[in-house]
Amino acid sequence: MIFGYLDPGSGSMILQAVIGGLAGIGVAFKAYRARRAINKAETGSEAGDVSAVEETTQPAES
Amino acid sequence: MSARWRKPPSPPSPELAHPEPAPTDVSTPDPGSFRDPASRVVIDGDKVVRLLDERGLEGWRSLSATKFFRTAVADGRLIESVEVDPPDGSAAALAHPRLDFISYPYEWTFSMLRDAALLQLDLLEGALGAGLTIKDATPYNVQFVDGRPVFIDVGSFEAYRSGEPWIGYRQFTRQFLFPLLLRAWAGVPFQPWLRGDLEGPTAEQMAKLLPAGKRLNTSALLHVRLQARMESRMGDRSVRRELGEAGFTADLILANVRKLKKLVASLEWEGADQGWSTYVECSHVTRDRATKGEFLEAALDRLGSRRVVDLGANDGHFSQIAAAKGALAVAVDSHEPVLDALYRGRPGPGLAIVLTDLANPSPSQGWAGRERPSLMERARPDLVIAYGLIHHLIYGASIPPREVVRWLSSFGCPVLVEFVSPADEMVVKLVGNKLPHELHPGGEEADFRALLQQHFATVAEQALGEGTRVLFALEPLPRAGGEPVITTGGEPAMTSDG
Ligand SMILES: C[S@@+](CC[C@H](N)C(=O)[O-])C[C@H]1O[C@@H](n2cnc3c(N)ncnc32)[C@H](O)[C@@H]1O
Repeated sequence: MIFGYLDPGSGSMILQAVIGGLAGIGVAFKAYRARRAINKAETGSEAGDVSAVEETTQPAES
Repeated sequence: MSARWRKPPSPPSPELAHPEPAPTDVSTPDPGSFRDPASRVVIDGDKVVRLLDERGLEGWRSLSATKFFRTAVADGRLIESVEVDPPDGSAAALAHPRLDFISYPYEWTFSMLRDAALLQLDLLEGALGAGLTIKDATPYNVQFVDGRPVFIDVGSFEAYRSGEPWIGYRQFTRQFLFPLLLRAWAGVPFQPWLRGDLEGPTAEQMAKLLPAGKRLNTSALLHVRLQARMESRMGDRSVRRELGEAGFTADLILANVRKLKKLVASLEWEGADQGWSTYVECSHVTRDRATKGEFLEAALDRLGSRRVVDLGANDGHFSQIAAAKGALAVAVDSHEPVLDALYRGRPGPGLAIVLTDLANPSPSQGWAGRERPSLMERARPDLVIAYGLIHHLIYGASIPPREVVRWLSSFGCPVLVEFVSPADEMVVKLVGNKLPHELHPGGEEADFRALLQQHFATVAEQALGEGTRVLFALEPLPRAGGEPVITTGGEPAMTSDG
């Protein structure tokens, strides 16, 4: 998944939305769910759980 | 602004504003600039020419049309660019001033890397405000000119496409933020890491290095621990398009950038306060300073030196003398607190700072072993100062005197060296833990003179203080067959952006 000459890193990209604040957390969650849906459709399997994103709403306990 | 870049002494440089009509010679690609296909750099005489493809040209058009660009160039944060006729195969070409000296992040002090990080964030914030973005975030895009950070990779700017995240965020954390956190939070110098791994620590590695007291810090949780976690969860599943569709905006990047600016600006390191301490310890330093300064000035006047490398520069006193005479002076030392204090004192025109251990100076490394040339290749001095240094190498680093002299001659230029005899009080301190038979023989003045004779002609000498030190002004003996002393792998890098 290299678009430019630099690989931005998928996890790091989603994280940026989270760091952006409340509005961003929603964006991150939506993007993550969309990604999961695609993976499901493509492979018929779970793409992983969403807990990493869910945790971000309560970062103090991670 | 243009006076900030001193032109190399010879050959005379064509005016940047009126570039020579001669076609750009594309045969010498810069070894440090090839990763971005849209923009690469070639060295053409004393110009640095950036060749752009169609995409790169688009980026340049977007950038050069903005007020943000003109302001950033005017206040010295962004390198000057002039459009020149592109050679065949390129959509456009930009000429930049060729910088006198290139240094790398693993040769910078803490405050230098922090200022470079703040410049990167500042420019990204300004760019986003102008509808642009910066597609990477590496300290190799920043150079220090006259003691101030300047962003040199104009090819990194492009129009911001709505819905895009900050592509350089991960790189920013690995190459700027984590190294700074290493020093500020864990007290561990970042330079060895950045020298060993040019990409910088990963979030996962950094997470393991967080000191207990910082593990619950909000920035540590987000930029370090959560990033590490998300990286391992997501692997390489694409999310770029999904983010855009989910409503990602430039405002989210701006919020991140502003938080990072605050965080980075708040970072300090424990060496910041001990700047001059090591210096004051040496009593002979103040005693001999004036004499050593005059000896240097006499050499500068006699030789008309343009490019001086000051080995063991400490607070940069002698580098400043050379810079004041219009030379470029590269102050090299292995002690971070003194160089950091020198940097923070805003040393002004003509002074460059390099943090490296001279018993193990920066090697040539990166792709094909030459993406980042060695310090010895980049230094290219026409005068070397080695004041108050060789006893550290001989008695501290256990380098035999004959090797030290051979090394000094390998610069292939005149050298000012301060001989320090084994009887000197500083040497007595340095060898405190060693037995006589554990020391290299040949450290006496007569031995040293004999060694010098093998490589140099002595043109002046001057006894110092209590008679345990002597200054020598040396000129290299002509070599049989005129073989070059330092073999460089072609052109030295004159840019560093990747
Ligand atoms: C006694 S001071 C001399 C400073 C100045 N050149 C003068 O003559 O006043 C020695 C300096 O050499 C530096 N130094 C010692 N060993 C070094 C090494 N291996 N690499 C780089 N610098 C070194 C020390 O950090 C210190 O700043």
